[in-house]
Amino acid sequence: MTTRETILNRLRSELRRPDLPFPLGNTPPLTSDERMTVTAASGTLWELAERFGAELTALHGTYEIVGTPTEARLALINRLLTWREEERAAYRGPKPQTGQEDQVLGWADEALPVPGIADALADLGIEVIAPAALYSSEERDAVRFIRYGVTGVQAAFAGTGSMLMVAGPKTSRAASLLPLRHIALIPFSRLYPAIEDWLAAERNAGTLTSVLRANANVTLITGPSKSADIEMNLTLGVHGPKFVHAILFEDDVER
Amino acid sequence: MTAKKTFPNPPRRVALFVTCMVDMLYPEVGMATVELLEKQGIEVVFPEAQTCCGQPAFNAGFRDEARVLARRFVDIFEPLVISGQVDAVVAPSGSCVTMVTHFYDVLFESESAVEYRYRAANLAAATFELTEFLVDVLGVTDVKSRFDGKLTYHASCHLLRELGVDRQPRALLENVAGAELVPLDGADECCGFGGLFAIKNGPISTAMGERKAANIIKSGADVATLCDVSCMTHINGLLSRQQQRCRVVHIAQVLNNQVDVADSPGTSRADVAAPEPSRRWQDAREEK
Amino acid sequence: MSVDIHAPYKERVDTALHDKHLRIALDRATSRMKTQRADAMAAIDGERLRTQVRKMKSYVLRNLPDLLETLESNLTANGAHVHWAADGEEADRIILDIARQANVQKAVKAKSMTSEEIHLNGVLQQAGIKVVETDLGEYIIQLADEPPSHIIAPVIHKRIEDISQVFQRELDMPPTMDPSAMTGAARQILRREFLSADLGISGCNFAIAETGTICIVTNEGNGRMVSSMPRVYIAVMGIEKLVPTVEDAFLQYQALCRSATGQQCSVYLSMTSGPRRADHPDGPEEFHVVLMDNGRLNMLARGYGEALMCVRCGACLNACPVYREIGGHAYGSTYSGPIGAVISPLLNTDVTDADKLPHASSLCGACRDACPVKIDLPRLLLNERADQVAEGDTAWFDRQAIRAFADTMKSPGRYAAAASFARTGSNLLAGMSGGNITFMPPPFSAWTQSRDFPPFAKKSFRRQWRERQERRKRIGNEGQRSKIED
Repeated sequence: MTTRETILNRLRSELRRPDLPFPLGNTPPLTSDERMTVTAASGTLWELAERFGAELTALHGTYEIVGTPTEARLALINRLLTWREEERAAYRGPKPQTGQEDQVLGWADEALPVPGIADALADLGIEVIAPAALYSSEERDAVRFIRYGVTGVQAAFAGTGSMLMVAGPKTSRAASLLPLRHIALIPFSRLYPAIEDWLAAERNAGTLTSVLRANANVTLITGPSKSADIEMNLTLGVHGPKFVHAILFEDDVER
Repeated sequence: MTAKKTFPNPPRRVALFVTCMVDMLYPEVGMATVELLEKQGIEVVFPEAQTCCGQPAFNAGFRDEARVLARRFVDIFEPLVISGQVDAVVAPSGSCVTMVTHFYDVLFESESAVEYRYRAANLAAATFELTEFLVDVLGVTDVKSRFDGKLTYHASCHLLRELGVDRQPRALLENVAGAELVPLDGADECCGFGGLFAIKNGPISTAMGERKAANIIKSGADVATLCDVSCMTHINGLLSRQQQRCRVVHIAQVLNNQVDVADSPGTSRADVAAPEPSRRWQDAREEK
Repeated sequence: MSVDIHAPYKERVDTALHDKHLRIALDRATSRMKTQRADAMAAIDGERLRTQVRKMKSYVLRNLPDLLETLESNLTANGAHVHWAADGEEADRIILDIARQANVQKAVKAKSMTSEEIHLNGVLQQAGIKVVETDLGEYIIQLADEPPSHIIAPVIHKRIEDISQVFQRELDMPPTMDPSAMTGAARQILRREFLSADLGISGCNFAIAETGTICIVTNEGNGRMVSSMPRVYIAVMGIEKLVPTVEDAFLQYQALCRSATGQQCSVYLSMTSGPRRADHPDGPEEFHVVLMDNGRLNMLARGYGEALMCVRCGACLNACPVYREIGGHAYGSTYSGPIGAVISPLLNTDVTDADKLPHASSLCGACRDACPVKIDLPRLLLNERADQVAEGDTAWFDRQAIRAFADTMKSPGRYAAAASFARTGSNLLAGMSGGNITFMPPPFSAWTQSRDFPPFAKKSFRRQWRERQERRKRIGNEGQRSKIED
């Protein structure tokens, strides 16, 4: 008998024992109508966006809310330029040249919820790198020192200030993971009050399991990377981004 | 656990389960309990055959030995309840009540003990910790007691987390005339007694108790109160070893006006002769 | 002097209790984590959440074989490889084989208690594979060559001063007390390791059966790194860590985060269902899942199935007044605190004096109140003690003492005699020390070493009661008589 069969057979025979004190014989599954929404939020989309921002701020992230995709593009450019200025001003002494100072690690342009970002940044001398492959160490070295990441989201949750990322051909995991600073573009059409509302919507549409299964990796991100391992002292930017900036904007996409 | 007994008519008579520790070490706590109940018009009977509920053996894992004592306990108290000779069983201990109300069904869970399981459930429904009985059953929160000084309250583990009794003793203490109830840091943290744990893991038990003792001293209370003499023995054992002024007393002693600030060691109390040998942290009113 | 986890139990405890720095570190951290958990659960209907997670987890246990098969077939369909291991040795061998076949030189690891349980690092290192722990806390203790002492805060036993010294000694870092500076140094070093490692290893916080998804919860991002950057990714998990549906996963996730660190959500929840698709720019080429028993079935069979609902949040450790005094290493096991005391003697692991662990609790119940699955840990500890007695696994002295105690309490006559004997003895002892008893012979010396004991009462309650009744009868009779005479 294989280990698999041994384990499964023994589990089955133990669970048939009438004298087994636990688990109880009549244990029904948890049903959708009894399952609670753990961290609820409510209100208009603008109110939800404000709530998202408040939650993210509490986690040491930053945010802004704007009216249109065009304003979102402008906000993104401003944020990048401000960050670059700050970094330059803060740097003392000769700066090592990596050749990646003026690059952004991003999702492919067509995967971003705001059009024309790559072109707009190119006009400012900033190149958006949307890698097709990061398999070899040479390919990784080519993006290793990029300090800014730009992505959209699959969904965002106001109650917790969380963003859901789905890995895909044009949506690299690296863009929201490797750079020190991450900007997420969040259209209102992808903003949900809580995680549970998104789960319900996907379940009703019959797409929930395929979102997970078809894409190899789905990640929920809530704020900048952090640790409290050193005697409960909060430190930001341990392995992932230290700065997370969300740009929430009104769009006219039907949900 | 079975639902607690309800009382359509006010209870008139209770059986006192005094607990073996109170019987042998702290009779004044037992007397205070009797007098408190009598002041509320309750007649108290004391079944003299009672000894111990079996908790020490149960906690150490000796279920057969505990079961013998549990059967004995049920045989003594359950007929009184079932026959209506008493309306309830009352004990000045959260821990011993927990044994009867929460752990007897563990001891009697085997098929052969079905009779005792049933009888133990009857008994459990009618067994109450003293403050629980006063507040929840009798509806009394003011027993007209007086204490001129600062009081604090330590929530014993079984009482708090198994019985869920916390607001009852606090309500009673809040109504003690002249007393200021001061907060106790970590009031709900274990004092480290834990029965045989105090012997088997003496150093850990002591470390936990020292933390409790330090918090009590920090609270600035003249006396700390609680509802279990086991925790009391442990904390006082440490306070006494550290030669602290502050002491822990059972809540019944405070509610029955048996404690004065002047009871603390180092000060003498003129109207009561010092007991022999001097029992530092207890009240001297054994003989009335 | 740090605690040697292989030393005898008494020695471990004594070392821990005498380690001032350890006790400061524990005190600072556990009180903070305790408050954070309490606040996070109070902000929502925490009781309802705990009830729901418990219900969900008991359904999982009841249906474990079916759910495991569903998980396996979904993982396989997603392109993952599923392996089954009866014990730690088999799991180690499977992982080593995968590493050898993939020609792995270096492995990066996210924090995983399961891999600690099977001593995976040692096995890989012996085979010449470099293993780098990447959780900041785990990295620090790997540098210091110590095991973790807490389920979610591995370096909880060290003060910042101690950590600074480790960085100075092992990394030649200039002395600093700035946690950001230390974190920055670790980020740089570990980033190189992430990008050059061939193998990523993690545990699994929960696996979703209906989708075949392995979920890991981290704050630092190392979980994302190990599951996304190296060529090969292996997740090793106990056979009990399943949830049926995606919704159940998010329910448990939120209960876990609130209980572990008081967060609404951890920073990252990485959900991996398979190897990267052909057109994806990043992700592992190979994805393996190792399902391991290692004593879990034994727990179920012996009546401790309830402990298999544990979500490893560490809340019971933070709540435990014993853990707060002695820390994790004193338990001598990968799993410490109340849950460790329950499961360590049952799991297939090598723990010195494991039989002492069920007694390392005052049964105060704070752990049960903190547990997001409401596991009745004190009851399980009591059952383990009873099992030890039933199996004749107790010290001769304990047995004699309890028997003598029970015999005494069985008979009112013997009870009275013993009380009178104790009274005489205690008065003698109290007389010697003038008041309270400050000295008793062994084994009671374990009490009087640090605590006084009150002398037995001159008159027991029952004697006082009898006298009182007689007095009342007399007064009653006199009253009767005077009435008649009137």
